[in-house]
Amino acid sequence: MNIELSEEAAEYGRQALEAFKAAGGDGLVQQAEAEPGHRAEQVAPVLAELGAWDLDARGDADELEAAAALCRSAGYWAVPYPVAERLARPADLGTDGLVVVAGTAPAGAVAGLDLRWTAVTPDGRRATAAALPPAAPPRESAFVTGLALTPLDEAGAADAALGLVLPCWTLLGMLDRAIDLAREHVLVREQFGRPLAQFQGVQFQLTDAEVERSGLEMMARYALWSGQANLPEALDDALALRLAALEAAETVFRVAHQLHGAIGFCDESPLSWISRYSQPVRRLPLGLSATRDLLARRLGRHALTGRYGDVAERVTS
Amino acid sequence: MGKAAAGLRGELRELVAENVPADFLGAFTDDPADLETAQGFCRVLAERGLLCLAWPEEYGGAGASVWEQTVVREEMWAHHEPRGAQYMGVNWVGPTIMRHGTAEQRSRHLPPIARGEVIWCQGFSEPDAGSDLASLRTAARRDGDGWRISGQKIWTSYATMAQWCFLLARTSKQEKKQQGLTIFLVPMSDPAIEVRPIDCMMGPHHLNEVFFDDLKVTEADVLGDVDGGWKVVQEVLSFERVGIARYARCERLLRLAPEVLGDRWDDLPDELRGRWAGALTRCRRARLLAYQVVAAQDRGAVRPGDAAAYRIAVTKLDQESAEVLMEIVGSAPPDGEQGRIFRREVEDHWRYAQASTVASGSIEVQRILLARAMLAAS
Ligand SMILES: Cc1cc2nc3c(=O)[nH]c(=O)nc-3n(C[C@H](O)[C@H](O)[C@H](O)COP(=O)(O)OP(=O)(O)OC[C@H]3O[C@@H](n4cnc5c(N)ncnc54)[C@H](O)[C@@H]3O)c2cc1C
Repeated sequence: MNIELSEEAAEYGRQALEAFKAAGGDGLVQQAEAEPGHRAEQVAPVLAELGAWDLDARGDADELEAAAALCRSAGYWAVPYPVAERLARPADLGTDGLVVVAGTAPAGAVAGLDLRWTAVTPDGRRATAAALPPAAPPRESAFVTGLALTPLDEAGAADAALGLVLPCWTLLGMLDRAIDLAREHVLVREQFGRPLAQFQGVQFQLTDAEVERSGLEMMARYALWSGQANLPEALDDALALRLAALEAAETVFRVAHQLHGAIGFCDESPLSWISRYSQPVRRLPLGLSATRDLLARRLGRHALTGRYGDVAERVTS
Repeated sequence: MGKAAAGLRGELRELVAENVPADFLGAFTDDPADLETAQGFCRVLAERGLLCLAWPEEYGGAGASVWEQTVVREEMWAHHEPRGAQYMGVNWVGPTIMRHGTAEQRSRHLPPIARGEVIWCQGFSEPDAGSDLASLRTAARRDGDGWRISGQKIWTSYATMAQWCFLLARTSKQEKKQQGLTIFLVPMSDPAIEVRPIDCMMGPHHLNEVFFDDLKVTEADVLGDVDGGWKVVQEVLSFERVGIARYARCERLLRLAPEVLGDRWDDLPDELRGRWAGALTRCRRARLLAYQVVAAQDRGAVRPGDAAAYRIAVTKLDQESAEVLMEIVGSAPPDGEQGRIFRREVEDHWRYAQASTVASGSIEVQRILLARAMLAAS
């Protein structure tokens, strides 16, 4: 594993960030909520321009890193489109995207798109999935809808790992944004005659959030590499990433909301949008407790990756 | 890191297995044999050129990469630091003397450190100068061609066993309290120095008070510039950017738990096993954050915010893993010899972990550094 993301992937991520901004930035998700029928059209040209669907996330390591960077940038603007799910599409089934499902009510944030889906459970059972008509408007559902599954095969172990990892990169982008917003807010907002940023109680909340975010970033790189290298424990690594991501999200969003005060709940504040639209990836396919539970059960009496220290020997810089 | 690091790791584990008893819990217990073990182990490392691996060749080192240094840090801490107190001499006292010492100081102090023969202690903190270190009051005043030092240090680790002290004292009163501080290298055997051990939960031979009563030192004992000590202290801290590899011990003990408990592992509450998995995840997170800092250090581009974020993550991990492990051994006390050793290791880890967010600068100081980095104009 290289401890740094490649410069090409980082540059691609920056371009994507700019492209989404130019296409509407925070307005994208607001418009999609108002006109859910048009959500695909809105972002399709940007994604095409970025060559998103030419990326082979399962092929080469560079393209996988680029795909991850793209998910992160999409998360930053809460782009109302299943970018990660589409990038994770199975290599062999000819479908448009992949959704990881668990439990008795399979669902995904894929409402109202004319796309063919594959679903996979964490233990690798695959199914053809059809998105049901959404039961609630996006304001409530954040585009989550039920999936009708037709069982297919049990060959999806690698699919499950990738299908769990890429959405965590989207969530990482959301956390990047939440922290940026909180930081900007406390530098500008004054109370008691000074910017909130000057209060230690405020600073320390911000640092708690940043420790979570930066830790998640490293975990995300590790799991990306582990999947790419086809390690036998790639799925455990993906679940460990998801666990870190969900814990980080809880802290970061809590801090970001708290430091914004009332303004953070308003539609005029981008935080409220990012916060609401972070819900699907945080709850599906497994919430925090279910993720931890599954990881612990899969590990049994074995800790993550072989003997301790192995991680070190795999790192390059 | 690759093969070289893996080979080194294997070699260190073998040396630990051969030279350190399985129930070793550090050099500072009530059993004098433990100190002996540590001193002997340092000589073994020195003979094989492993003690000062990271030092430049001219001082007896092998100019090892930052990654090899990382492996040493991890393996030693994972196994209860069998170098005892000598890790300080190797990690920062030696390197600081290399940079700031005179030729005479270098030839006097570096070879004994490299041979694994000498213990140093750090005389920084005082009763009224903890987090606010620069407000320290231990004073050195000019006396003929030398200095006389009076005052008190506290929390001085290993002072009872140390031969030398890396002492920070005030040499003049200036506008800013960070100015007017000087480093002295002083022999602990001087009768003007009195060491009083402090009973504490880290064990009997760890923390001490050190009193200086008109200690006479010469100009040759000053390290670097008179009144220029604060800059040296900052460098000392930068040698310790990544500090102790606490995650390595947490991870080793967490990994060991199911093995030691055997079938009883499956009887633990699901929630506890979930916390165990969570703690392992945070071990990996802390490790990766450390590697990010190490990689940046290698390029000479450490961002202070990253180092602080890592320190916050790893000290919290230390305490969290200690709670999880204590609960595991409390719920299903492991038996047999391996079980007995493991229980003692966990209990020792818990006690040490209590101090991890205070020792070497409290977690709040790290938060202040991180906040400063985050809020700086971008
Ligand atoms: C195991 C151990 C080994 C040690 N070894 C050595 C040694 O070898 N040599 C040596 O010189 N020293 C040593 N120390 C001392 C150590 O460096 C100090 O304990 C540390 O710097 C904190 O100082 P203090 O204990 O006086 O706490 P204080 O400075 O009194 O702080 C107490 C608490 O107040 C809070 N606090 C303080 N300042 C702030 C602030 N600005 N903002 C917010 N909160 C704040 C923090 O929670 C802090 O933990 C050791 C300490 C321990 C625990």
